[in-house]
Order: sequence, then C-alpha cells, then structure tokens
Amino acid sequence: MYELLFAGLANVVQVKYLLPLALGTLVGVVGGALPGVTITMTIIVVLPFTFGLDPLQGLAAMTGVYVGGSAGGLVTAVLLGIPGTPSAIATTFDGHPMARNGEPGRALWIGIWASFFGGLLGGIFLIGATGPLARIALEFGPWEFFSLFVLALSMVAGLVEASLLKGLLSGMLGLIVTVMGVDPVLGRERLTLGIPFLAGGVEFLPVLIGVFAFAQIMTEVERMGGAAPLADAIDRAASLAVSHLKVIWEIVSRPLILLWVAFVGVLPAIGGSAASMMAYDQAKKFSRHPERFGTGTPEGIIASEASNNANVGGSLVTIMAFGIPGDAVTAVMLGALTIHGIQSGPLFISQNTQLAYGMFAAYLLAHPIMVLILALGSRWMLRVTTVPKAALFPVVLVLCVVGAYALNNTMTNVYVLLVFGLLGYAMVKTGFPLAPFILGVILGDQIELNLVRSIMTDANPWLFITRPISGGLLFASVASVAFALWQHRRQQAKLSASEGDADF
Amino acid sequence: MPGRDAWAGLAVLAASLVLFGFTFELKDNPLVPVGPGFYPRIVLGITALLAAAVVAAGFLTRRRRPAAAERGIRYGLVAATFAVFGVYVGALPYLGFRVATFAYIAATNAVLDPPRGARDWLRAAALALVATAVIYFAFERYLAVLLPRGRWIGF
Amino acid sequence: MKRFALALLLAPLVAHAQYPDRPIKLIVPWAAGGDTDVIYRTFAPLMQKHVGGTIVVANVGGASGTKGAKEAKDSPPDGYTIFAVHDSIHSTYYTGVADVNYHDFEPLCLVSATPSIITASPKTPWSDMKALLADAKARPGQITVGATLGSTSHFFPAMVEKAAAIKFKYVSYEGTAPRMNALLGGHIELAESNLTQKGKADAGQLKFLAIASAARHPEVPAVPTLKELGISVEYAVNRGLIAPKGTPAAALGKLRSACGAAAKDPSFAEAMKKHGTIVNYLDERGYAAFLKDNDAQNKDVARDLGLLKR
Repeated sequence: MYELLFAGLANVVQVKYLLPLALGTLVGVVGGALPGVTITMTIIVVLPFTFGLDPLQGLAAMTGVYVGGSAGGLVTAVLLGIPGTPSAIATTFDGHPMARNGEPGRALWIGIWASFFGGLLGGIFLIGATGPLARIALEFGPWEFFSLFVLALSMVAGLVEASLLKGLLSGMLGLIVTVMGVDPVLGRERLTLGIPFLAGGVEFLPVLIGVFAFAQIMTEVERMGGAAPLADAIDRAASLAVSHLKVIWEIVSRPLILLWVAFVGVLPAIGGSAASMMAYDQAKKFSRHPERFGTGTPEGIIASEASNNANVGGSLVTIMAFGIPGDAVTAVMLGALTIHGIQSGPLFISQNTQLAYGMFAAYLLAHPIMVLILALGSRWMLRVTTVPKAALFPVVLVLCVVGAYALNNTMTNVYVLLVFGLLGYAMVKTGFPLAPFILGVILGDQIELNLVRSIMTDANPWLFITRPISGGLLFASVASVAFALWQHRRQQAKLSASEGDADF
Repeated sequence: MPGRDAWAGLAVLAASLVLFGFTFELKDNPLVPVGPGFYPRIVLGITALLAAAVVAAGFLTRRRRPAAAERGIRYGLVAATFAVFGVYVGALPYLGFRVATFAYIAATNAVLDPPRGARDWLRAAALALVATAVIYFAFERYLAVLLPRGRWIGF
Repeated sequence: MKRFALALLLAPLVAHAQYPDRPIKLIVPWAAGGDTDVIYRTFAPLMQKHVGGTIVVANVGGASGTKGAKEAKDSPPDGYTIFAVHDSIHSTYYTGVADVNYHDFEPLCLVSATPSIITASPKTPWSDMKALLADAKARPGQITVGATLGSTSHFFPAMVEKAAAIKFKYVSYEGTAPRMNALLGGHIELAESNLTQKGKADAGQLKFLAIASAARHPEVPAVPTLKELGISVEYAVNRGLIAPKGTPAAALGKLRSACGAAAKDPSFAEAMKKHGTIVNYLDERGYAAFLKDNDAQNKDVARDLGLLKR
C-alpha cells in the first residue's frame, strides 16, 4: 500500500502533474477566499479547463482546487469575519475575534496549519480505508447497492435544516429528473413529453452546474447595490508575521482535540460545512474551558479548520468507493472525477491503482502547496475580495456555459443548464433544499438499475430485507428518517419556524 | 392564504400525477421482467404523496411572512440577468461563441452595474473583449476544447 | 492590451484555404475511459499527423451509443465531423433504440477488431466451457449473464445460446467495468469480456472459458476457441470510422488515406496489443462490404432474439 503511495508521489512530482496541481490549488485558494464564490462554484469554473488534460492531470487539478478551496475560506473568515465558503463559517467564531484582539497573524496561521494537519489526517484515513472497503465491496450485489443509495438519499434529505418533508420531496424531484428521458435499462425514450432535449435523457453535470451556479449567483444578484458589510474588517496594515514553530506547537500540543475533530470531519462524510460545525460543537463540549469559545480561543479555530480539511479526505473515499456525495461540493467533485475516468465503485481503487494513488499523492502534495501559497499571498488575497461582482458573475456564467457545452459538445447541455438554473433559483425561493435534489439526480439511474437488476437476477422481493447487509441498510434509512423527524419536532418546539438557509 | 409551500406542493402534485398517467402508455419489453414504467410509477407515486402532505401542511400551518427578509430584494435585476443569459444561450449557435460571449459579458456587466457615461461603457466593452479572448484562446488553442461556431456568420 | 485581444480574436478570419483549416471533431459515442475511447485516443494523434490538421476526440455518450450517432448524422457534412462507430450501430437500429443506420454515413475505413471471450465468475464451479454447457443444459434459463441489453455484449451470448441449444437468463449491466465487478462478486455468473481483462483472469479473479476468434489467441493460448468446442460462433467488436453522407470527396480522400496510414503505423498495433485488440484495416471499399455483411448478420440475431423492430 505505501509502496503504491510512494510510486504515486514519484509520479505526481513530475512537472506535467505538479503544474496543474499547483494551479488548481492556487485557483482553489483564491476562489475559496472570495466571499460569494464557494468551493462548489470554483470547481465548476475550473472543470472545463481540465477537459483536454490526461486523467491524472485533470484529477490533480481538481483535487488541488478542492483542498485549496477548503483552506482558502479561512483567510476572509479570519481577517474580515466573512466566511469565504460555508465550510469556514465556524472559523469566524473564534478566528475573527482573535484577529481583532490584535493577533491576526496567529489566528490566520493557526487556521492554516490546522487545515494542513487535519488534511493530512484525512489523507491517512483516505489511504487506510481503501483496502477494507474493497473487501466489503465484493459482497455488494444489486440489492445492497439499491439499499445503500436509498439510505444515502434519506440521510441527506434528513440532514437539511428546512422541513423534512421538503427535503424528501426535493430528493424525489431529483429522481423524477432521471425518470424522464431515457430508461436506463434498455435506453428507450420514456416520458419525454415530446421535448427534444429530453430525448437522450439529461446529463447530471449541466443540471448540477445550472442548479448551483444560478441559485448562488442569483441570490447574490438580488442583494446587489447594497452597502458592503466590511465594517468589521481588521486593519489591513496589521502585521501577519508569526512564529510558525509556536503556532504548530499550539496545534500539536492538543493532539486529542486534533485527532477527534479530524475523526469527526472524516467519519460521516457529510460535507465540509456540517463537519466543521459539528467538530466545533464537539470541541466545545470536551473543552475544559467551553466559556472561552467564541472569544478567540485557538481550539475553536483548530476544530473548524482541521475538520473541514479532514472532510475532504473522507469525502474523496465515499465518492470514489460508492459514488455517493455528501453535499454540493462533493457532488460537483464526483462529476469532475467521473469526467476524468473515475468509475466510482468499491473496486475502483484496487483496480486502478495508478490513477487512485496518483490522486492520493496529489491530495497529500496539495497541502504543502496550499501552505506555501497562503504564506506568499494571504495579504494579496484580501485585495482579490474587492473584485466587482458585476464583472465576476458574467465571466463565471460563461465558464459554466463552456463547461456544459464542452462536456458532450452539444448545445443541448447548455439548454439544460438554463432550464435547471431557473429551477434551482425557484427552489431556493420556495425553500426546497438543493442537496437532496442533486443527490436524487445523481443516484436516480443507479437506484433504478439496481432495482431492476435484482429483480432480473431473482424474482424474490424479500431478498432486499433478508440479505443481511441490504436489510441493515434499509433499516438504517428508515431509522434516519425517524430520527430526523424526532429532531425536527424537538427543534420546532424550541424555536419558532425560521427561514432555513440555502445550502450551497 | 396558503404560502409558497402549498403552491409549490400543488404544482409538484399536479406534475407527478400527469406523469404517472403517462407511464401507462409505456410498452413492456420481453427482455425485462418489469416494464419501463415500473420504477417511474413508484417514484411518481411517492412524490405525489409527499407533495400532498406538503400542501396539507401548507394549509394547516399559518405562516407569518418574513417581511424583513423580503424587503430590498431586487427581483427586477434577477429577471434581467436571467433574460440576458437566455438571449445569450439562444444566440450562441447562430452568432458563435466569440461574438455572442462578447455581447453577453458586456450586457450583463451593464445590467448589474449600470454604466454612467462613455467611460463606463468602454470599461464594460474592454472587460468583455479581454474575457472572451482569454477564454476562447485558453480552450480552443491550448485545451483542445471546441467552442460553438456561428451558423449565420461562420465565425 | 485591448488591441492585442482584438487581433487574437480576428486572427482566424484571415488566413488559410485548404482542408483541413480547423480542427476535425471525432465523435466517440461512449464515455471517456471506455474501450472505444481508449482506442481512438491512441489513433487520433497518429491520424492527425497524416491528415495535416488537429483531430479532437469529443465524447458524446449516452443511450447505448446512439446519442453520439444522432449528433454525427446531423452534423454538417463538411469533413470536420467524423464518427467512431462499432457494431452497436446495427444492433441499436434493428432493436429500435435509434433511427440512425450505417447508410447515413460514408465509410472511411475499418480500424480494429476485439475478439469476445466468454468469461465466468470465479465463484462458479465450472472449470471449462464443457462444464458450463452441461450445467446450462441441466438448468435451462437459470444461469445469469450480465449484458448491455440489445447491444454487442447481449448479441454475443445470444449467438452462443442458439448455436449450443441452451438458454440463459440476462441481467442488465451496462458497460464492461460494472459487468466485471459483478462477476468478481459472483452476482452474475457469466458475461462477455475481452483481452483487456487478461490481468484479472491471470490473477484468478475471472475465468476465461472460450474465445470467439477463428484461432486461439497467442496472448491466451490455453483458452479454446468456440469453434473447437463445436459451437460455430465467431464474434468480435469491430471499430471503424465513418463520416456523414455528403462529405466532399476531397475531404473523404484525405481522411481515408490518413486513416489507412495511421492504422498501418506499427506503434498503433503495439499500443492495441495492450487492449487485446487486433488492428484489422480495411479500406473504404472493403469496409463498405463489411458493414453490409455485418448489418445483415445483426438483423438475423435481432430476429432470433425476438428483438427485431424493423
């Protein structure tokens, strides 16, 4: 296993891979730092640039964007108090107060080094998990996959903050998108309603780009022209110099917290934003000084940043091994990996060692590159945040069009982009969460295929329950819906209905 | 007065029932024991039930309109941005990538940040020109991704 | 800066006259990373050397390869679109999945053939093809075969079924990779594969029972041909290049000679060996006859399967 990793590292340090990796990380850091541009958006924008590259080059670039983006969000979170990406929200709680208390350099670098260590811990998990996964995976027949996808869908629908009912309905809407167009079993047209662009079925990537890009950009456009909320920013001339050894010691002298939050980040693979909030909450619970949280304690920054970067490793495992994304970023990442020849599946890693370990190596290398980029450019990064949105948005949308078009070289995908852009915005306005919808679009065909496959293999429907793994997964999905229901009840009792935030 | 939820639920309910009806027109195939309408009927059936529940919940819970959150939202600007994008997508196959994108970026920039005077127009045009040129050359020349040619002007 | 950008934008307007003056789009109707994609990503750079212009591979996947076929058919016949076709164009036409037929195109050349192999799961008890046949006779309609329904991986076992007078049970698994994983896990018992899976067969993860070529293959000399076993089935997935009908003769000529030159390049044959593929070049005339034969054969199989819709 580690020989393979070293071979991967030796492979990736070649200029032809290192260059896309470094560029990807740079763009990721900048995109992550820009408030209003999420990692999801950055990945969408970078993706078409990688279409013409060889698979490992493309994967290296996309991995760089993902790692860089997860760290980049902390710069604005710490220095301006505005999270550059949703996964850095928890970083503002302690990072910004510490920066305002006259220690911007310390706050920034605790965040950066925590990201670094969290990411590496996530990497260890990423590499260690592949062997056992491949062994379990062989037991997965169509029944198990069907149940697994149902579980994934019900968990994501239950995780949303809006109503559970709307979460489930969103997921079903996503499934309906896959029902219209082409029957995945025989490839015949079905339920196309005579609409020509439905005839071949809808590709999920343009749907994804349309839904997320427009949902996000249009909610920004709604508020354009208002006053910029930068009143809280720290003095831009303040020194960011800091003793790195001291900062690193601050982190590694709290090994238990670091390990625990990295574990929380990796484990559920529920996405960076949820992971960092959960880790922050956990760190606070276990701390001897919970009252210091929120006033600028290093533990808070470590919890948030270490967990959101560890989450990248965990997410990469789940998308590579099962093709199940936990949130928007991983959904787009899944699309990106698919384009570069990753056929998600439990055996992918063991059968395509060169590609998989090349990607692991890229993931590990992206971390020192990220630290280097931030060391050289964190001050410059603040200036990037002043790019006018009126100039940024049309360029981003053009890149979305290029991405959709170049996918199959057809205008059809561009029309899909527009239609689902409208739908995405409408969903945000009516409070339907986007994540379950997208997951439905991604998993729909697989759910149907595995259902039909199991029926074709054996006509006995009880196998879904009597096969132990399948039965367990189905039970877990029922339990997760029940749990979500119970939690929503409890929450509703606590606070009156408040508008749920759109999840990007 | 039912809120947005109920209306959205009603729309989904209607759509899923219509599609559910269409699934009965699908023909079975001897190769597959369940027809192509089998799974869609499950999905559409569950959707219809959930949508009905959303409608019911929408009617049952009287919701206060969060007026503060809605104030200051510029729906006109959103509509204009969508409209310009729609025209762009429509024109793309006819005008080709270079011409259409130049016009689109300049137009959207002008919509989002209305120019005051010739200098601002010039700035919008410059942005559009540079962005179009950079994107075009990056893709077509260096990344081997072909972008649409205009059917009308062959450019 | 502005003038520079403008100059760059207008540059392509002024130059050139001769074909090809811009990149040629090679439509591959399958996803990136599949067998067809891999073969043409090797072939395109060789061919573009001889054609004197860039050839860009465009993956237009979906709907059993018919989405790309439709797009290729509807492209302007100006020599700037060519199509990477394989046998599924016949089977999808006769099974009614698509309306695109090989008649809608001009043949350029046949490039390669990949012989099919009957492959079994390691969890099956069969040690050779004879054991499989005996078991199939004992349990008619119960042995599960993974296949892309209506396509080559379905037609091939169906031909074996007919020749050996046995009956299989088909389960839909589209694409070679998912089929191989299902075989590995024992969720299906049989499937069509080819020599790209040799590594797994050597490692004992798959069992090659019989190959459908005319003679034993030098890479796997221990695997018998179906013919030796008394089953008269020869089957391979044949890949070639075609262009939309009406493409100007000058462009066709250039493309045809470039295709021939690339197919004869020894480095291509060397690269194809890794993919279990034989370079099987036929010029446009030979290829036209080949397509005609192949089409008739596919029609027969579709009729036998009860899938014929035309």
